[in-house]
Amino acid sequence: MIKIENLEKIYRTDEVQTKALNNVSLAVNEGEFVAIMGPSGCGKSTLLNILGLLDEPDGGQFAFAGAEVAHASERRRAELRKKHIGFVFQSFNLIEELTVAENVELPLIYLGVGAAERKEKVAAVLEKMQIMHRRNHFPQQLSGGQQQRVAVARAVINSPRLILADEPTGNLDSSNGNEVMELLTELNEGGTTIVMVTHSEHDARYAHRVVRLLDGQVVLENRQPAFSA
Amino acid sequence: MFKNYFLVAYRNLVRHKGFSFLNIAGLALGLTACLLIGLFVHDELQFDKFVPQGDRIFRLYADHFRGDARETAAPVPPMYATTMKQEFPEVEQTMRILMQASNNLVEVGDKKLYVDNSVIADSTFFSMFELPFKYGSAEHALDAPTSIVLAEDVATNFFGKENPVGKEIKVNKQSLLVKGVLRGGLSKFHLPINYVLPLSAAGLPKERMKKWGWHQFFTYVKLRPGTDAQQTQAKLQRYVTQVVNPTLPADDQIKEVTYLQPLHQIHLYSANFKYDMSTKGNITYVKALSFIAVFILLIAGFNFVNLSTAKSLQRAKEVGIRKTIGASREQLMLQFLSETVLLTLVSVVLATVLTALLLPSLNAFTGKTMTFDLLANPALLGLLGLLTVVVGLVAGFYPALVLSGFQPVKVLKSAVVTDGVFGRVQWLRHGLIVVQFALSVFLIVCALVVFRQVSFLHNKDLGFNRDQIMFFPMRGDNMKEHYDAFKNELAQVPGVASASIGYGFPGDQVAGDGIIVPKNGEDKEHGVTQLMVDYDYLKTLGMQLIAGRDFSPALKTDKDQAFILNETAVKELGFGTPEKALGQPLKWKVWNDKNPDSLKVGKVIGVVKDFHYKSLYDRLEPAVLQIFPGAYWKVAVKLKADNIGSSVEGVKQVWAKFSPDSPIEYKFLDDNFDQMYKAEDKLKSLLWLFTGIAIFVGCLGLFGLATYAAERRKKEIGIRKVLGASVGSIVGLLSKEFLVLVLVAAVIAFPAAWLAMNRWLQDFAYRIDMPLWAFLVAGLAAAAVAFLTVGYQAVRAATMNPVSNLRAQ
Ligand SMILES: Nc1ncnc2c1ncn2[C@@H]1O[C@H](COP(=O)(O)OP(=O)(O)O)[C@@H](O)[C@H]1O
Ligand SMILES: [Mg+2]
Repeated sequence: MIKIENLEKIYRTDEVQTKALNNVSLAVNEGEFVAIMGPSGCGKSTLLNILGLLDEPDGGQFAFAGAEVAHASERRRAELRKKHIGFVFQSFNLIEELTVAENVELPLIYLGVGAAERKEKVAAVLEKMQIMHRRNHFPQQLSGGQQQRVAVARAVINSPRLILADEPTGNLDSSNGNEVMELLTELNEGGTTIVMVTHSEHDARYAHRVVRLLDGQVVLENRQPAFSA
Repeated sequence: MFKNYFLVAYRNLVRHKGFSFLNIAGLALGLTACLLIGLFVHDELQFDKFVPQGDRIFRLYADHFRGDARETAAPVPPMYATTMKQEFPEVEQTMRILMQASNNLVEVGDKKLYVDNSVIADSTFFSMFELPFKYGSAEHALDAPTSIVLAEDVATNFFGKENPVGKEIKVNKQSLLVKGVLRGGLSKFHLPINYVLPLSAAGLPKERMKKWGWHQFFTYVKLRPGTDAQQTQAKLQRYVTQVVNPTLPADDQIKEVTYLQPLHQIHLYSANFKYDMSTKGNITYVKALSFIAVFILLIAGFNFVNLSTAKSLQRAKEVGIRKTIGASREQLMLQFLSETVLLTLVSVVLATVLTALLLPSLNAFTGKTMTFDLLANPALLGLLGLLTVVVGLVAGFYPALVLSGFQPVKVLKSAVVTDGVFGRVQWLRHGLIVVQFALSVFLIVCALVVFRQVSFLHNKDLGFNRDQIMFFPMRGDNMKEHYDAFKNELAQVPGVASASIGYGFPGDQVAGDGIIVPKNGEDKEHGVTQLMVDYDYLKTLGMQLIAGRDFSPALKTDKDQAFILNETAVKELGFGTPEKALGQPLKWKVWNDKNPDSLKVGKVIGVVKDFHYKSLYDRLEPAVLQIFPGAYWKVAVKLKADNIGSSVEGVKQVWAKFSPDSPIEYKFLDDNFDQMYKAEDKLKSLLWLFTGIAIFVGCLGLFGLATYAAERRKKEIGIRKVLGASVGSIVGLLSKEFLVLVLVAAVIAFPAAWLAMNRWLQDFAYRIDMPLWAFLVAGLAAAAVAFLTVGYQAVRAATMNPVSNLRAQ
């Protein structure tokens, strides 16, 4: 599903040049659940943003679902994003002016889905995430765990093939964190590919495979049996 | 999708109430000012547009030259119309209106009123101007010398609701029959009309109507369709020099140059015409107001852009999320544009309400009857709709461009988006503030200069004392014949200081004529103003003799052989100094219809200090004062300062003795002068008003930006304070950049304001020097306003508890 080779990303500011990614190669298969780990500043988010077509690499190849997209146009990347990719962030990133239901509905609006169908789908996914009773609340009125469930609901509403999660449990306590991890696992079992950045060894155990980064390079890939804990 | 946009827009509006308020209030206020000015300008431009075939109607006017001075006047001699009708095939119709000097006494039964704005015209008046009739019809309306056509409110005033056609009405004791009543107020017609009389009713001698030198007729021509007016005008000018002049004696040659003025230009383009009965506007002021309207709209629009881009940084995150989810840039632009259009719509609705509320005051102030009825005027509604969309799109375009261009990776990463990331936003914002302030400073300077010039006009020492002088024309043969007795009795009234009868009082009509200076056996004629005075003229007006003596009833020769000059006349007639002028011989062709060749021969007995008997628009002219009872007509009565009321009563009683049939119709002389500057007074008031609005709207924007800047730098301020910065230094930090902008604005505005005001002042023969302090004051005022607006926010930010600011991040 994803295949990157010798990926490079360099940040240039006035004085310094940071090589955020240095010759990173990685393949993720359809249906896989991959965790990316590493110390702060090693390039995890940078990698995830490129995988999510939010950012462009400075070098290397990137094939998404068989198509080369390393230097795709903004329009094409937005297109792929809205059809195939869902995002979950550490800081939830919900729109404060929209209610829970409206936040979740938004991707469908951009996809041009009709109103009736949107309503149905939103109801279904909110049901599934168990926040139906909060549908008309605004994000600020929810707990962190609830907000992240909304974010996940929004990420999956258009049934994306790939979900990218950047430290999804980073702002949550352990019980809320576990709930979110259960959700992701469930989705993965339903066939969705998941790439997740995390600091937590505990969370990483939910994944099929852990990729470790250090200073912009892959230092280790280890396969692990699911639920070895 | 739009539902979602508007939902977000609405919630944003409510959530950021302060910001929304500034945005909407500023734009609404600006739009209101624009709408009011727009209505006014539209109304001014509408004059005479309703007249059928108006594009073929022209008025004659002439430039007269005296030395290198030029004077433009509307009335021309009667022969122009006669000649053009006879000799110019392209002229379809001509019509003359007699220029009159005073109001007429109108009587119906016992009801007596002085009525102004009477039109005495050729019977072709209503085929030239096809005005609507309420009663009667235009055809033959002016054929009989006893005809009269009334304006609607005059008819109502004298006859009530009934149809007055066929009824009798007296004008100056002359009995006439009402032939028709015009419909409506004719508020958009350049001629103010209370009634129309045929020229035949005036009984002018046939001989006089054949004159080429009697400038007494407002003359209109209607050209046939397809005629080139420029060619007709050139032809007329050629005709005068090549055909008419050779038939005239050398002394009576036509020297003025005559032009054709399109009907649609009469109202706005005749501001400098010396004799004109039309309702005058002023294209300069119409243009100035239009500019101000555009200025205010710009300022309000810039506010909008500035506030929106400033706020956009707060919404960067929303943009990031939407993009992550898959929104395209176009969709985001559309979203933000619909938001600004929505905000504009709210502002426009608000402005519409405000305009409707304020229009009555503007009507009262301008004496107009403008309406703002959206339902009755779909075009206006459409215009407002268009305005909403255009202002919304233009003001929203840049913020939308900036917002939709945010990179999700960048904006989602950092908790706060700083200006540093969007340097060009800052640049634009500063540019717009500079323009706003430049416009404000420009307007302040103009307002101050106009204010100074207007008070100069009202307060300049005119060389005579215009206070407490009752002024009125004599009426009835008895009074005119016994003017001496009348005057004596007036002088006896307790509270009357002195009385003077004559023709040629300051602020009233004066006669231009020649004076002959014999020199080396040769007579040289100079054009001067002839003031026909009596022995109490100088005393009554408090004028100052600087050489020689006043006229004296004790000396018999003063009546027939004495002249007094003003200083300007001393110079122009070539006498050098006032002392040298004394005793110089002068000759004057006496106004005497029976004996046109009679001469008055006399000497200069005195010189008066120059005094302004006309408005300060006009340069002082040489004036000759002499005793000439034949022209006596107007009366000036100087009252003592106290008990004015009973003094006026006393004067009225004397009047009633001499002219019991006609009521007295008096004014105070200083009112005549105040009347002259009505346009300037209004300009002054409007300038203050709109300058105020411009500054206020600009400040709203600045306040918003300062709030935003303080908000954005909360953390920085917190850290600085923890490190020991004083409140003063932080206020300075936050205010400095705004003050620099004001300075730049002032530098841009000053030369522009100087040029504009210098040009305006040129219109006045007597004017103030460009007041440099006005520039200083304008600059300081702008800086002060900016400092107060920004400073308030700065102080608030600087005095906040730093710990809470740091924690909030
Ligand atoms: N926009 C940027 N400009 C400059 N440097 C950046 C930018 N984003 C990230 N970096 C740098 O790139 C490196 C990798 O960053 P990031 O991918 O965010 O790390 P992680 O998510 O692993 O903590 C860091 O050194 C960071 O400072
Ligand atoms: Mg990171």
